[in-house]
Amino acid sequence: MSIEINSVSLRINDMDILKDISLKVKPGELMAVLGPNGSGKSSLIRIISGDILPTKGDVVIDDKPLVEIDVQEQALKRSVMSQSQQILYDYTVREIIEMGWIYEGMRESEINVKNKISEVAEECYVTHLLDRSFNTLSGGEQRRVHFARTLLQINHDYEKVGHRYILLDEPTANLDLSFELKLVKLLKNKAKQGFGILLIIHDLNLASKFSDKIAILYNGALSSYGIPKDVFKSKLLSNIFGIPMDVNPETLRVSYY
Amino acid sequence: MYLKYSLNNKLRFLKKIFQTRYIKPKQTLIILGLLSLLVISFVLGITFGSYNIPLSNILKSTIEPIHKTVLIQIRAPRVVLAGFVGASLALSGASLQGLFRNPLADPGLIGVSAGAALGATSIIVLSNHFVPETLSGPFLLPLAAIGGASGVIILLFLLTKGFKTRGTTYMLLIGIAINSLAGVCIGILTYISSDAELRSLTFWTMGSFGGVTWPLLLPAIIIISFFLFWAMPSSRNLDLLQLGEIEAQRLGINLKKLRFNIVISSAAIVGISVSLSGMIGFIGLVVPHLARLLGGVNHSYLLISSAIAGSSLMIIADLFARVLVQPAELPVGLITSAIGAPFFLYLIINTKKA
Amino acid sequence: MKNNLLIKYFILSLSSNFIFCQNNNNDLCLIATDDSRVVIAGGSITEIFYLLEIQNKIIAVDITSNFPEETKNIPSIGYVRMLSTEGILSMNPSIILGENDMGPENVIEQINNIGVELRIVPEIKSVQGILEKIRCVASIMDVELKATKIIEMKYTDLLVQLENNRKKVSEKNISAMVIYSMQGTSPIVSGSGESGDAFLKMLGAQNAFSSFKGWKPVSAESIIANDPDFIIVTNRLLKRFSSLNELKSHPVLAQTTAAKKNQILAKDGMAMMGFGPRTIECALDVSKVFSK
Repeated sequence: MSIEINSVSLRINDMDILKDISLKVKPGELMAVLGPNGSGKSSLIRIISGDILPTKGDVVIDDKPLVEIDVQEQALKRSVMSQSQQILYDYTVREIIEMGWIYEGMRESEINVKNKISEVAEECYVTHLLDRSFNTLSGGEQRRVHFARTLLQINHDYEKVGHRYILLDEPTANLDLSFELKLVKLLKNKAKQGFGILLIIHDLNLASKFSDKIAILYNGALSSYGIPKDVFKSKLLSNIFGIPMDVNPETLRVSYY
Repeated sequence: MYLKYSLNNKLRFLKKIFQTRYIKPKQTLIILGLLSLLVISFVLGITFGSYNIPLSNILKSTIEPIHKTVLIQIRAPRVVLAGFVGASLALSGASLQGLFRNPLADPGLIGVSAGAALGATSIIVLSNHFVPETLSGPFLLPLAAIGGASGVIILLFLLTKGFKTRGTTYMLLIGIAINSLAGVCIGILTYISSDAELRSLTFWTMGSFGGVTWPLLLPAIIIISFFLFWAMPSSRNLDLLQLGEIEAQRLGINLKKLRFNIVISSAAIVGISVSLSGMIGFIGLVVPHLARLLGGVNHSYLLISSAIAGSSLMIIADLFARVLVQPAELPVGLITSAIGAPFFLYLIINTKKA
Repeated sequence: MKNNLLIKYFILSLSSNFIFCQNNNNDLCLIATDDSRVVIAGGSITEIFYLLEIQNKIIAVDITSNFPEETKNIPSIGYVRMLSTEGILSMNPSIILGENDMGPENVIEQINNIGVELRIVPEIKSVQGILEKIRCVASIMDVELKATKIIEMKYTDLLVQLENNRKKVSEKNISAMVIYSMQGTSPIVSGSGESGDAFLKMLGAQNAFSSFKGWKPVSAESIIANDPDFIIVTNRLLKRFSSLNELKSHPVLAQTTAAKKNQILAKDGMAMMGFGPRTIECALDVSKVFSK
């Protein structure tokens, strides 16, 4: 039971975007994906979300090939937070968060939905923004609202769905230090509750501190994959990011300036 | 007990169609307000006209036969048609603006109006030469217009490989191409037509609700209502679509089905409307914007309120068309364009900033 | 003269038609049930009412009824092809008289359904057609004898002259073109089957552009190629130019025989092509110039 990425390759216009990637996102685990810009991290998330098909290999979610799961069921099983989107019309924050509520026409009562919206709004510190217009928010606030929506999407009571996963593509962009930390802590918490989490992030120290597994992508290939202690080696990181990096083997803290 | 159960069932059905869960209390009030406006405009539309029928007579039901005929055979079908056409244009405008995520989208945009117009003009110009006498009749023109609109949709369907493969930008571009293609064909028809045909053609493209009869109107009402209800349940999905097409798909939306529902229903109601009343501009553009200004942008509210507001606005516009220069009348398209064109300019200038 | 007698006979035979065989044309010209309140859609019919001096029965006219001037004071029901049922009915007419381009069709249908008397007066675009139109209107309005007298008094001489001129013109083998308006720099010209073409036939002239049907824009080159001896334009078109001279030197027309010989005429569009009584007078005017 997990999201299995089996030897996935992606070629677009004769360019190798991803080369033979195999990973596993397990329920109860927070996996961080690291790598420089253009290393193929976002493409990986797009493949797992079903936006694009891999050229080779496949994705299996809980023993079922992704291509055989219909979009509605996928949406109940995993939510995706991608990099920022522009929204044309003036929706309120509450409406945007509610868009994560896709559990339509089954058993939920109105009050239940309201409670859940308040719950995720509180978790993401946007309760005071609920009645504002989304387009008037700052970049960081908008990220938090999208994050709340992503959480709401899998916060339903439909048990048949089984394990649930959250995929996040740089959710901490635009967030200040305090919210960045709060968000990652929250994700860690969600992992403890049993969600499987795949997180693309740039802050190496947050990754090493909070993730259970780390995958490092470099030029479309998986250059390292394992628990933080095995992956965080000064030499490896220095090679990949192209600047000298020093990893403290005890705390796994990285210093690079 | 049973009664309560069946009532609940019916309510659930309505809830499903209108997605009432997402309509806020304030919006419910606005919708009720618009509904009463619709009732008022309907009453005004029925009461006033170039033929003077005293209101007191209607109320006392002491109506002379000629008055009754004017009311029931001439004025009522006209007001009803105006209402349905207004609702059609506004609803398809609102849903296309949602589908294309473009505040300037209009039923004319994807080429459906042009297709319907082409169908109708071909029949006006060519029927004298090619259609046998026995086939022509009051239904020929509407059928040709629906045929033209459907032709455009089938073309759209084929070119976008079943509304599936390409993005909506691609579809918009095809719409523009179809529009100009239809324009060329109408131009050619205009050229080969003789004087009388040409003039009825130009006047037909300006739009009017005059001369509609119940036998023509009733089938149109049934089809339009069917597709109005068809479009409504898509409102929630249109909201999600505003997050972006990829995002919407990740939220479990079947994009292909959504595009199909919106495009088909828009095409059908616009095609029928154009065939019965000619091309009437700007209602599909202006009304959804007014509705958004009034009460909000969520489509579960927007689609209903646009349909109702479009309906009453069109009835009022037609009332003006009928009484401003009575006993003659103006093409109703003139009145809607006079209001709509400046608004359109305002929108273009304002959206440039964003 | 022999001609003179023939025409008189022709007119008399027409008027005797009213009396002896009313069904000659069809039911459209039968006497009206109630002719007290007439709505007219079509300028030629309004002209006929004034000719027959029964204009007091008119309660509303369409906008092509612009002659004589007094028609301006009569309520207007709009354009003859784009009428409104309710607008017409609001005038409470006892009978509606229209030309054959009256419309739209569904409005005519509605009026028929309601049962207000509606007559579409037959139109043949010729001298005889105009006389028959007068006869038909007179028959509907029950003023046949008066009509016969007026036609005899007013038109006998005109018709004789027109007939004589027509012969002269056809012997001279004159070609002409009728321009309705200019679309940009392309003149809109009458092809065959149109009222402009019919007007030229009344004069005995040949239409330089009979090769196509309908009103069409034509190019400068095809005008030179067809080289009409005469050009007739509408007064409305002439208004766009300061004078006939300026129109004559317009590059599109300047190379024609008509322009070179100063043979461009401007006439009122409705008088020329409305095929009411005025068309006879207008045709005579033009034929005088053509036959000179």
